[in-house]
Amino acid sequence: MLIKHYLALFFLVLITSATFAQNKFTLSGTIRDASSGETLIGATVKIIGASTAATLTNNYGYFALTQPEGTYTVTVSYTGYTAIVKTIDLNKDTKLNEELKSAIDLAEVTVNANNRKNENVKSAQMGLERIDMKSLNSIPVLLGEKDILKTIQLLPGVKSGGEGNTGFYVRGGAADQNLIILDEAVVYNSSHLLGFFSTFNADAIKDVSLYKGGMPAQYGGRLSSVLDVKMDDGNNKEFKFQGGIGLIASRIKAEGPIVKDRGSFMVSFRRTYIDLFLRSSPDSSVNGSTLNFYDINAKANYKINDKNTIYISGYFGKDNIGVKDLFENNWGNVTTTIRLNHIFSDRLFSNTSLIYNNYNYTVRLLNDATNFKATSLVRDFNFKEDFQYFSNKHTLRFGINATQHRISPIDIDSDEASQVNSLTQERRYGIESAAYISDEWAVNEHLNFLYGVRLAAFSLMGPGNFSTYDADGNTLSTENVAKGKFHKNYFNLEPRFSVSYLFNEENSIKASYNRNTQNVHILTNATSSSPTDQYVLSSTNIKPEIADQVALGYFKNIQDNNYELSGEIYYKWLQNQIDYKNAAELLANSNVESELLYGVGRAYGLELFFKKKFGKLNGWVGYTLSRTERKFTELNNGNYFPARQDRTHDISVVGIYNMTKRWTFSSSFIYSTGNAVTYPAGKYSIGGQMAYYYTERNAGRMPYNMRLDVSATLEGKPGKKYQSSWNFGIYNVLARKNPYSIEFITDPDNPGKTAAQQTSLFGLIPSITWNFKF
Amino acid sequence: MKKLIIYFSLFTLCLTSCKKIISIDTENADPQIVIEGKINDQLIDQQIKISKTIGYTEANVFPKVSGASVTVTDSKGNNYVFKEGAIAGTYINRMRGVPGVTYNLNVTSEGQTYTASSKMPNVVKVDSIGVIKNFFFGRERKTAAVFLKDPVNETNFYHFNLYVNDILSERFYVNNDRLTNGNELRIQLFFKPPTNDHDSDELNSNDKIKIEMECIDTNIFDYWYALSQQSNRGPNQGTTPANPTSNISNNALGYFSANTYQVLTATVK
Repeated sequence: MLIKHYLALFFLVLITSATFAQNKFTLSGTIRDASSGETLIGATVKIIGASTAATLTNNYGYFALTQPEGTYTVTVSYTGYTAIVKTIDLNKDTKLNEELKSAIDLAEVTVNANNRKNENVKSAQMGLERIDMKSLNSIPVLLGEKDILKTIQLLPGVKSGGEGNTGFYVRGGAADQNLIILDEAVVYNSSHLLGFFSTFNADAIKDVSLYKGGMPAQYGGRLSSVLDVKMDDGNNKEFKFQGGIGLIASRIKAEGPIVKDRGSFMVSFRRTYIDLFLRSSPDSSVNGSTLNFYDINAKANYKINDKNTIYISGYFGKDNIGVKDLFENNWGNVTTTIRLNHIFSDRLFSNTSLIYNNYNYTVRLLNDATNFKATSLVRDFNFKEDFQYFSNKHTLRFGINATQHRISPIDIDSDEASQVNSLTQERRYGIESAAYISDEWAVNEHLNFLYGVRLAAFSLMGPGNFSTYDADGNTLSTENVAKGKFHKNYFNLEPRFSVSYLFNEENSIKASYNRNTQNVHILTNATSSSPTDQYVLSSTNIKPEIADQVALGYFKNIQDNNYELSGEIYYKWLQNQIDYKNAAELLANSNVESELLYGVGRAYGLELFFKKKFGKLNGWVGYTLSRTERKFTELNNGNYFPARQDRTHDISVVGIYNMTKRWTFSSSFIYSTGNAVTYPAGKYSIGGQMAYYYTERNAGRMPYNMRLDVSATLEGKPGKKYQSSWNFGIYNVLARKNPYSIEFITDPDNPGKTAAQQTSLFGLIPSITWNFKF
Repeated sequence: MKKLIIYFSLFTLCLTSCKKIISIDTENADPQIVIEGKINDQLIDQQIKISKTIGYTEANVFPKVSGASVTVTDSKGNNYVFKEGAIAGTYINRMRGVPGVTYNLNVTSEGQTYTASSKMPNVVKVDSIGVIKNFFFGRERKTAAVFLKDPVNETNFYHFNLYVNDILSERFYVNNDRLTNGNELRIQLFFKPPTNDHDSDELNSNDKIKIEMECIDTNIFDYWYALSQQSNRGPNQGTTPANPTSNISNNALGYFSANTYQVLTATVK
């Protein structure tokens, strides 16, 4: 019933918006960077005259504003760029394509603070964090490999998956509940080298947005967050090269026009070279070992005419780990996106995408007792059609999306002599489709709405044998489903609603509610992301995961946007969460669904954020107070218990100091409560050995984490065409031994007793990186 | 243009990890009953051991539970009464178990009754035991191994104990034939001595190895497998530790297993 009312309200608003749109003209266009021709996402276009209105450019730099006839002053602005002010007579539909010049010194752009001015306060959108790619470059990171996934962990509400790890948890969600998309394509495994580095080469990235809550209706498929990463389009004015040499990896990027001002390309390559050191070893089994990863990002775009632009982008990455004569393991993602931007009219913008992505891994054991090769693949074909309609006070988004998934859980290929049998686990096929509509409605100076609904459908398809299980894991029935036939369908309606109320230009409160559902799940009992994580689709046994989140926030800007202050509280209910039975065997198990437990979860917290945006010293302080719990009938006597990533306090402080035009210093500090873990409460003798007795699940705490990292960047002399810079960093300056794991051993001082031994991964680690650009 | 070849090696990665002893905050639990019962296919004093848990911080002396009444019945109608022998808390009866027979345990201790049942699987014979050589980064490493032929027409579960120079390895070795059914198996058992010294886990020439093999039923496999997944590994390393699911009723810890038994010895060359 509630949903019916909601839909009725929605269409009412649509109709009223249509009737308003008379005797008005539309100003539309694309905003670009003057030196590279790169489109600017989220640039502000503001017009003042007979009436006042403002909008932001979309993901393709496009904007449209519809206003009554008249003379207006138009201001186009963007962080770090010099604003353009123009006067226009709006007496017909008008095009405004502008190119903004980058401000030379970021520290001096305070005056120009009206770029995106107060956007954080005004917009109804909550829980959104945008990463500034410029500050990303100066934030210190492990081994100097700048990384967006590590930088987002410094924001409130985002928790790190572990020391030096790129896995992350958002507002109590699990690591597999983040939707990570690169140019619209899902990246299933976003980590390199067992999680120490991410698949995102910062050189090739243009824009990063993280939604912790209030997800707009165009996103769906995961419960807890959306990380929307967009690649650079490439410079359409001149050829440029840039690159860097670091301790772990080297990078090179080339970009340039295909046809000047009409099309451009970008190619970026990164590779590690730890194995080059291995190769120099005189030992044959060491120099025969491999340990590397590489990624290639490539993108091209071409503006066919004023109404059509085509984009093709791709990512290819691979990790290789191997020890001679023992094992080899490699894994990687491939994504390809073909998009067509089409402008139907000044007000109707469309984007059609065809997306292919896969994640695959291979494990080869070469040991003579167990000689086999295991492969696994997750593959998606995805079609998306997105529309954006700009009217006077409304921005409408609507679209459809259909994804076909194919999962090959594992194929084992072994020869006669191997003690492991060859095996082909049944492929699983699923179709995820969705239709959505949302409206961003500026009601008046005080009130903004962003509301919409997403209908998510999921179908598990044949061919295959699908079993159901009882609570003990015994097979109840098995159904053979033919190719192309539907086995199980799920429909979920996901309402999304956000509202902001502005007390004045610099003060607002916001509230939001959103429901998200998820039909692709990872089965893993490892702490950090593992290349052999297994993907499963919703089925008769596994119900779609559902999250409902409500959030309330206060947003304030001080001193002409120089300072941003915000506080958000949230509460999240999770349904159909997955955990594992005792002695669960997850790998290569065609009855893996019999090993699962289903339960619920809840997460709530407070996030405080204070940011200084401009000036010589800028940076932020984030604090999160939170609780994340799960409940399964079969675990912990059916009581709520803390999830592993439950950490009560999380503090992060980031400071960037632009001392001179050439020297920039930065530091980051983190403190967090230790992970919730299960400690033994007793011990006993069994099988001649000692075993531990456990009572409450995850009632214990690891020691707290604390770390201070610093870095300094020296830019080359400005003004030359050829630019180089040095970055010096120290990770964990305090050399604090942060807990990675705890193991129980015989107490060295008292052999009759037990002691807990903590392992830390990293001490103090210096790094140096040299970057160039010409 | 300058040459691009500049590289400094200030590379001091602390992957040779840093370990330290810490104190953890945990409450000692009240003592719980632990029952460990085995019936095998040899004519010996079969043993049912009853003990109690101790608190995490206490010294490793596990209290024995005396005065319990322990009986085992089987699916053929036999009734065996187990008596506390010379060792307190160890209840014995000289008998031989038979493959294919289900055994039922009944223990009454301190006013509580505990029951369990287990069916003895068929015998799978170990062909031999020996040593397999592996190369880890150029170093030869010897590992104890069991060689046997897995029967193709049944699901088999194996449990092993490894002794090196009569010292029991502190690992739980357990296998099933889910991925290896019907094959010649070469199961490697990596030795873990009961010391904190990780260098002593290598086998050397003239070491005496002894391997006990048991064919166990599915519940007992789950029991040992759960223990092997956590063993000494503490928190934050994979599976959240929990008490393995016992086949004994009334929340007792431990297990009751009817299993086959075979023991072989060898000397490392």
